[in-house]
Amino acid sequence: MPTVSSVTLTGRLLLLLLWAAHLAMATNWLSLARLSRSRPVSGAEPCGRLRGLSPGQVGVCRARGEVMESVRKASEMVIEECQHQFRNRRWNCSTTPRGINVFGRVMNQGTREAAFVHALSSAAVAVAVTRGCSRGELERCGCDRKVRGVSPEGFQWSGCSDNLSYGVAFSQTFVDEPERAKGMSSGRPLMNIHNNEAGRKAILHNMQVECKCHGVSGSCELRTCWKVMPPFRRVGAVLKERFDGATEVRLTRVGSRTALLPRDPQVKPPATRDLVYLAPSPDFCRLDPDNGIPGTAGRRCNGTSRLAPDGCELLCCGPGFRAGRAEVVQRCSCKFSWCCSVRCQQCKNTVLIHTCRE
Amino acid sequence: MAGAIIENMSTKKLVILGVILMLFQAFSFMVGGLIAPSPTAAVSYLATKCVDNEKTHHKNPKWFTPWGPDQCSKIKDFDEAMVKKIEANNIVFAIHIPPPNTEMSTWFQFLLLILHFDIAFKIQNQIADGASITIDVRLAYRDDKLSEWTQMAHSVEQRKLSCNFTAAKTIENEGRLYDCDLLPFMELGSVAHKYYLLNVRLPVNERKKVNIGIGEINDMRLVGIHQNGGFTKVWFAMKTFLTPSVLIIMIWYWKRITQMTRPPVLLEKVIFALGISMTFINIPVEWFSVGFDWTWMLLFGDIRQGIFYAMLLSFWIIFCGEHLMDQTERNRFSVYWKQVIPIVFGSFCLFIFDMCERGVQLKNPFYSIWASDVGTELAMAFIIVAGICACLYFLFLCFMVFQVFRNISGKRSCLPAMTKARRLHYEGLIFRFKFLMLVTLACAAMTVIFFIISQVSEGHWLWGGHTVQVNSAFFTGIYGMWNLYVFALMFLYAPSHKRYGDEQSSADQAGNSGEDTQLTTTITHVDGPTEIYKMTGKEAQE
Repeated sequence: MPTVSSVTLTGRLLLLLLWAAHLAMATNWLSLARLSRSRPVSGAEPCGRLRGLSPGQVGVCRARGEVMESVRKASEMVIEECQHQFRNRRWNCSTTPRGINVFGRVMNQGTREAAFVHALSSAAVAVAVTRGCSRGELERCGCDRKVRGVSPEGFQWSGCSDNLSYGVAFSQTFVDEPERAKGMSSGRPLMNIHNNEAGRKAILHNMQVECKCHGVSGSCELRTCWKVMPPFRRVGAVLKERFDGATEVRLTRVGSRTALLPRDPQVKPPATRDLVYLAPSPDFCRLDPDNGIPGTAGRRCNGTSRLAPDGCELLCCGPGFRAGRAEVVQRCSCKFSWCCSVRCQQCKNTVLIHTCRE
Repeated sequence: MAGAIIENMSTKKLVILGVILMLFQAFSFMVGGLIAPSPTAAVSYLATKCVDNEKTHHKNPKWFTPWGPDQCSKIKDFDEAMVKKIEANNIVFAIHIPPPNTEMSTWFQFLLLILHFDIAFKIQNQIADGASITIDVRLAYRDDKLSEWTQMAHSVEQRKLSCNFTAAKTIENEGRLYDCDLLPFMELGSVAHKYYLLNVRLPVNERKKVNIGIGEINDMRLVGIHQNGGFTKVWFAMKTFLTPSVLIIMIWYWKRITQMTRPPVLLEKVIFALGISMTFINIPVEWFSVGFDWTWMLLFGDIRQGIFYAMLLSFWIIFCGEHLMDQTERNRFSVYWKQVIPIVFGSFCLFIFDMCERGVQLKNPFYSIWASDVGTELAMAFIIVAGICACLYFLFLCFMVFQVFRNISGKRSCLPAMTKARRLHYEGLIFRFKFLMLVTLACAAMTVIFFIISQVSEGHWLWGGHTVQVNSAFFTGIYGMWNLYVFALMFLYAPSHKRYGDEQSSADQAGNSGEDTQLTTTITHVDGPTEIYKMTGKEAQE
């Protein structure tokens, strides 16, 4: 009997560890943002040491190492943009102090917030890779698509296809890989892949066409048009709107396949660019270190608006806030140029600050 | 006007000729639509931010390469620059043209660069009203990847920023980008080298207010536009085929004229001049651009086009005038000076404008007439005057066409009462005019329709399994069409050699003295008119 109990306990522990490892894979590559900038993110051995990458992503890292610098940039973009879009929310994309799960376990629970982060992540990879192509830092891009022959002859005959197609394809390869590795029959990978695709669609549906007339005397006898990617801030804003209108779904068997359909039958099935989630979100009010939730204690809030999401009653989950005066040192009389250093004077002001009660 | 071939040609021959021309027309459309790629290609470039730590960068300039073995020291964004205490004057934007693993080619014919700044909104660092950006730019080339870069242009340019912020100017919207207009940056009239490098500085000088008040620049984006090499090859082949075709018909036409016992009339001279201008535009001088670095080829092409259009417009006026049938003696160019002056003056204005833009760019590829207020006003003035001349010309032309049709109605009612020779003469005039009117309207309509389609469409259609390049089809089709137009004009309106009997001419000398001068030029065939010709005459009698 003791032997039997010991074997059962060991087996269960092993299964739990494997399960946790799998669950933790989805957005762990965002931990690339935590590496120091001098640390390499390409090369066979450095790739193997990047703990946030899934085995498939390690393979991509080794095979196409030149793209990984763009992936690192994408991870930084995700965190910055997420924190901008959610700056007035209870959950404001706060990051965990350490570890490969940058936003904490909220990302593993099939929540609406996880949906947003997945969409934003896949969009960031597509944008960062496309920009790397436009800077010439990546060698295989739109010009490598064998247009009527091998480059450079294809380029000389009819130009290149656009770099965004390459960026989107790479995003599909890299970001979707951990989900495909889990199989497509359970709810979480399906949700994540759907939301990843929605992120890429947010770019494609917001492309702009710009044109230039350059014929005789500048007439429109000759006119050339090209597509322009939207700024990433705009992509973030679009996905934030999708987040606000996200659809709760559940796994449903349809014939021999499984699909994500709305939990509420009255709701229409989500379009490919809508965000979907499987589980309702916690209220994010109280400190929950295990799940990476810092709570709203100590947060500044808007004391003059009761309806805004950063209004004190909403943000602080009730009447638990207080007002106080504080003397703050602000910069004033600044001399700006178009970049880099700013020379300012220091000014002291007294402002009324509202904060959530502990 | 003497009897032309068109009046004496049988219906069968006219239809055969029409079908042949239609087949050539369809072929010229298909060459562009199916064989050639799209006429131009646009490549997006994002400038790399290089750091220049040296203070002596103005003598023997060092070149900053964005990628490759000797690439510059870079920063990813300007937050990194602040951390490293790098100043605005140490930033060099570097752009390598073309992208990696590709080469520029002389088949590209020109390189046009368009500039776009990504400027973020900051409450304390906004774009001032009427802000202007000062750009210190150098252009270099090399022909293999191991050579040193050779400078080919350096300029300090100003461009007016025209930026809009569509959201509210609040703290929440900081970091969003302004909506800025595209800025013209550079135009090269030839692409003689394989690799080009641009180094751009935005120097800051607080005392002189240079590059102050232009907001916070995140990125510099360029779009490079060039003609596709494949389109160039198809275009050159087409020109090379068309040149001897029109040349041969021109020679044949001149022989026909010189075989006449009388000197050529004004209309015959004008048709010949039209053929010359068509040949001038056809001659594939562009082949030299493949072997020589002639930057003026683009300007030369513009001038040739201008000459052809001026000649075509003048021809239409004179053709209408020569068919007015109002007893006035014409056959002299001086009669038409009122109508021709708008053409000449409008063309001259556009020529001056083109010289001010593309002409100056031969020396300084970064020049743009739109960059300064005076230049913008001058350019607008030239374009407006040319537009007014175009409207005047159109009014004159419409009025003359109206006059011709009015006189045709008048003459038609008198036709049954005329002698046979006089009736055939007027029927010939009417038929010639109506035929050309119809063909010209068809060609003009086709040009306008295809122009609109090429502006509206994405540039290519998917048809069955084939991709049809609409824009290329437009260029080759319309170009081929006007060549066929001039070809048909010279063939059909060449003087006919078929003659009347002598007794007919002598018998009519006793006729109306007012119409003698026109009748003396009549030479028609009694048994050869086309069915259309006969129907026209019959219709007139009824």
